[in-house]
Amino acid sequence: MELLGEVILIAISAALINNFVLHYFVGICPFLGVSRRVDMAFGMGFAVTFVISVAGLLSWTFTTYILRPGAPLTTWVYRLAVPDTEVVPDLSILNYIVFIFVIASAVQLVEMYVRKFFPKLYKSFGVFLPLITTNCAILFACLEILRNVSGVPRAEAWGVVEALTLSVFAGLGFMLAIVIMAGIREELDSCDVPAPLRGAGITLIVAGLLALAFAGFTRVDQGLANLIR
Amino acid sequence: MAANVLKQAWLVLVLAVCFGAALAGVHVGLSPRIEANRRAAIYDAIPVLVEGAVGEKAEQIELGGRRVYRAYDAEQRHLGWVIQASGDGFVDEVELLIGLDLEAERITGIHVLQQSETPGLGAGITEQDWREQFAGAEAERPVRLVSERPDEPNEVEAITGATVSSESVRDIVNAAVADVREAIHAGESAAQGGNGDGQ
Amino acid sequence: MANDGGPTAGERFIRGIIPENPVYRQLLGMCPTLAVTGNLQAAMTMAGATAFVLFCANVLTSLIRGLLKPHLRILVFTLVIATFVTIVDRILQAYLYQMSQQLGPYVPLIIVNCMIISRCEICASKQSVFRAASDAVGVSLGFALALASIAAPRELLGDGALFGFAVMPEAMPQWVIMLLPPGAFITLGLLLGGANWIGQSLNRRKAATE
Repeated sequence: MELLGEVILIAISAALINNFVLHYFVGICPFLGVSRRVDMAFGMGFAVTFVISVAGLLSWTFTTYILRPGAPLTTWVYRLAVPDTEVVPDLSILNYIVFIFVIASAVQLVEMYVRKFFPKLYKSFGVFLPLITTNCAILFACLEILRNVSGVPRAEAWGVVEALTLSVFAGLGFMLAIVIMAGIREELDSCDVPAPLRGAGITLIVAGLLALAFAGFTRVDQGLANLIR
Repeated sequence: MAANVLKQAWLVLVLAVCFGAALAGVHVGLSPRIEANRRAAIYDAIPVLVEGAVGEKAEQIELGGRRVYRAYDAEQRHLGWVIQASGDGFVDEVELLIGLDLEAERITGIHVLQQSETPGLGAGITEQDWREQFAGAEAERPVRLVSERPDEPNEVEAITGATVSSESVRDIVNAAVADVREAIHAGESAAQGGNGDGQ
Repeated sequence: MANDGGPTAGERFIRGIIPENPVYRQLLGMCPTLAVTGNLQAAMTMAGATAFVLFCANVLTSLIRGLLKPHLRILVFTLVIATFVTIVDRILQAYLYQMSQQLGPYVPLIIVNCMIISRCEICASKQSVFRAASDAVGVSLGFALALASIAAPRELLGDGALFGFAVMPEAMPQWVIMLLPPGAFITLGLLLGGANWIGQSLNRRKAATE
């Protein structure tokens, strides 16, 4: 029950309240660039959800077993090399470099897998995959996981379930935001927008109104979690 | 094959080695400073919460499932306790330090370590005037929120327009104080005439 | 090498500031542009950190440009940028601890700021060190100006202050919405519209005189 409550909290918070695009402003580039049509937006949303889940899982594994101060694998290797020492090895300086390469490999992996086994799916969203490497939403998810694994008391550190929940629901939240945006922009095409605002300008203003709407979800997670407890 | 790979990738390998060395240098050079900053964020608040205490002398322990600091003065006299506790605020997590006197009978003050509440509304929990209302509250019973200027101890005026932020601070304080107070009192009766206080 | 057809160092420098401003003209680096512009101090720290990374990455890329293998170049750029971002992150934590706490994850997110990798790709990997350096300075200045232009109205209207000093009269109500996410989106949207409007009317005037 404890875990279920926490998972619901993390899920609702990542998807709605602290929506990656509308609250943390990460993943704005595809949000502005690929939100012209609803089907493209869906494709992009799927691709991001896919990659973010894989990258989140990988970065949780790396952080927990290798990167955080006193991680088991690193400590074991260190003890092999230097026996009889009390030093706690700390590789956290490599965090960012490892994350960015984890993301790049996750993208490659997902691309190869999808191309081989789901050629149809690959046709619909494969084109977005390489773009995702520099999508800040994915690195941001990795950093959120890092924040909750490294540097917190052992008992409060996130397990794999929490990390995966955050990644999947952050991806779904991104998809929700970009699809809503694409729907609005399709309608905007038939509106008389002042010339200077056309394109990115009006999109940002609409995004501001969307962010305002999403702010209405605040505290929903607490209410749900309390119901379950 | 191997030679070919090496020919293609030697630059990446050389760069990786150079960057590794540079990062190791940065880590060795700056880590002590960063660690000191991180400690200072907590330890600098301790003298404010427990009067007469010296931040550097404080000792971190676990008590009642909470992270607690024993506050000592310069002569190693045990003066009080500081609890580090966090909970959900309106927007994101709120992390507090809560001061308790030696007998864990009164709250001596609270300090906000981390918050991202709405500026101008919920962020009012960091204002000194508001936080000072907690000082002097009895630890035995929970703090209550009221909507007008409070006239009794244990009453705190909720921030207008930020009831939820005020409530979350109240909940964090009440839960943490109850846990730690119980643990301190249980510890005292278990070790009557105790020796853990340094004097 | 002195004249390889591309723009000179001076041109590179000027171009980065207004004509090819990374935020207003190229829509790059939107994530810090929206996220850390709630007050000028945070915005300027972010601009400084980005400038440091961009400058170092541009100079280093330019130095090793002759050795780059085409298919490995993105890998090398990423490695270079991630390293310098780690360094700047540690420096901020060591010397500006409060600010680094406030900026939080947006410092490591400099790694995926498309602005930097696009400068490495477009300019630094093809140009001499001096040109790459002046390009980095110009683009950084442009980025800093853009951040300031968004942070100043947000802080002024939302908090009645600039750089943390109160400047607005007490009676002026504070528009808290300006400091919240919707305020960031709408401010940038309107400013972008304004920039486009100026650009378009300049073009029209030019066309009329010709």
